[in-house]
Amino acid sequence: MGFVGEIYPNDLRTNAQMDALLRAEGIRRDKNLDYSCGVFDDDGSLIAAGSSFKNTLRCLAVSSEHRGEGLMNQVVSHLLEREIQQGYSHVFLYTKEKNAAIFQDLGFYEIARVENELVFLENRRDGFARYLKRLEQTRRDGRCAAVVMNANPFTLGHRYLVEQAASENDWLHLFLLSEEAGPIPFSVRKKLVREGIADLKNVILHETGPYIISSATFPSYFLRDEDAAIFAHAKLDLAVFGKIAAVLGVTARYAGEEKSSHVTALYNESMAELLPKQGIRFQEVPRLTIGGETVSASTVRQAIHDGHPERIAFMLPESTKRYFAGAEAAPVLSAIRAMEEARHY
Amino acid sequence: MVIQKPAIAGTLESSDCMVTVEPGEGKIDLDLDSAVIRQYGKQIRKVILETLQRLDVTDAKITVVDKGALDCTIKARVECAVYRSNGVKDQLPWGGAIV
Repeated sequence: MGFVGEIYPNDLRTNAQMDALLRAEGIRRDKNLDYSCGVFDDDGSLIAAGSSFKNTLRCLAVSSEHRGEGLMNQVVSHLLEREIQQGYSHVFLYTKEKNAAIFQDLGFYEIARVENELVFLENRRDGFARYLKRLEQTRRDGRCAAVVMNANPFTLGHRYLVEQAASENDWLHLFLLSEEAGPIPFSVRKKLVREGIADLKNVILHETGPYIISSATFPSYFLRDEDAAIFAHAKLDLAVFGKIAAVLGVTARYAGEEKSSHVTALYNESMAELLPKQGIRFQEVPRLTIGGETVSASTVRQAIHDGHPERIAFMLPESTKRYFAGAEAAPVLSAIRAMEEARHY
Repeated sequence: MVIQKPAIAGTLESSDCMVTVEPGEGKIDLDLDSAVIRQYGKQIRKVILETLQRLDVTDAKITVVDKGALDCTIKARVECAVYRSNGVKDQLPWGGAIV
C-alpha cells in the first residue's frame, strides 16, 4: 500500500498519469488547481488522486481497480490537513451523485444537488442550515424579489437595476458577492452599495457567503474556463439559490442584461432556463444608458485602468465618486491600474 | 488552554479519527460523526469531552469524524489537535494542559 504524496505542477510524468486516471474515471480536470496529491502503488503508478483550489476539494478519483481499499480516505485526509494549513476550515466539494455517499462517510454534508448530475457538499453539519436560518429572520410578507450583484464598483447601473426591482415588488433581497476577487475589497464594495441604496427602504442587503457565486459553487465566474464548465457551475449555483429563495419567499430574480461579459451572459442564459422550473420568474433588465453610453462596472474599471477616470464619472453615484476621490481609494486605484485585464471575461 | 487557530489531527482511515478544533463561541460545541455512533456514540463523546476538560479547554468548536478509533486513539488525536492549535511542537505535556 502506498502513501500520499504531493504531485508537483512541473512533474509532467505524474501529471500525465493524473490526467489519465481522471479521464478513466470520467472526471473533468479543473483548469484551476492550487495543489494536487496522489497515492502510488509499489510500481510507482498513480492509483488515486485529489486536488484543491482555495476552500474546495477537486478532481478526486480512485482507480477502479483499487476501490474499497480506503484510498479516498487517505487522499481526503491529506487534503483536509493542507486546507487547514492554508487557513480554510470550512471546506466544500462537489461530486457525482453516485459517489456522494463516499464523502458523506468522510464527514461531508449535502448542501444541494443537481438531479442526475452532481451533489455539492460541505464539511459542516449545519453550515448551510445556519446560513438559511439567519436569512429567514429577514423574511418579509408580500411580493419578494432578489438581485445578486458583485458591484465592482457600485454604479448608477446597479442603482437602476435595484430601483427597478424594488419598485416592482414589496421587498427586494439584495445579495452582494462577499468573496474577495478583485482589487476593490469587499468592505468597500459593501459600503458603496449601502450608501448607494440608503434611501430605498424596501431593500434588504445580504452577503452571499460561500453559497452563491463563490469560488466553491461557481469557480468559473472568477477564473477563465470552458463553456461546459460555466453551465455546470451555473446550474449548481441556481440549485443553491433555489433553496435560499424558498426560505425568503422570493418569487422573482432580476439581473442586468449582459452583452460584454461572456460568463455573466451564460449565467443569465442559465437563469432564464432554470429559474422558471423552480417557480421563480427571471427578469432581465436592459442596461441603463446615459448619453448613448451603456453604464457598466467593467467599463468603469477599464477607464480607471487606462488612467481616464474622468470619462466614466457620469456613470457613478455621488457616494462612489466621493470614495474614489478620497485618499483611502489610492491603493485600490493603483491596483486596478496594475490589473492585466480590468474587464470581466 | 485556549484554541488559538484552527488545527487538525488524525486521518479518515479505518480505526482512526480526524479531529478539527476551531475557536469557539464561548462554549464547547462538539460535532461528532462516527461509523459506529449507534454502538459507541456516548462513549466517544465522553472521551472527547473528558480529554478537553483535562486540557482545560472550555471554548472550542470541535469536529470529530470517527472511523472506529479506540478510546486511546481518540484521546491522542484530540490532544494533538489542541496542542497544534497552540503551535506547541516540543516538550508536549501529553495528557496535561499547557500553562
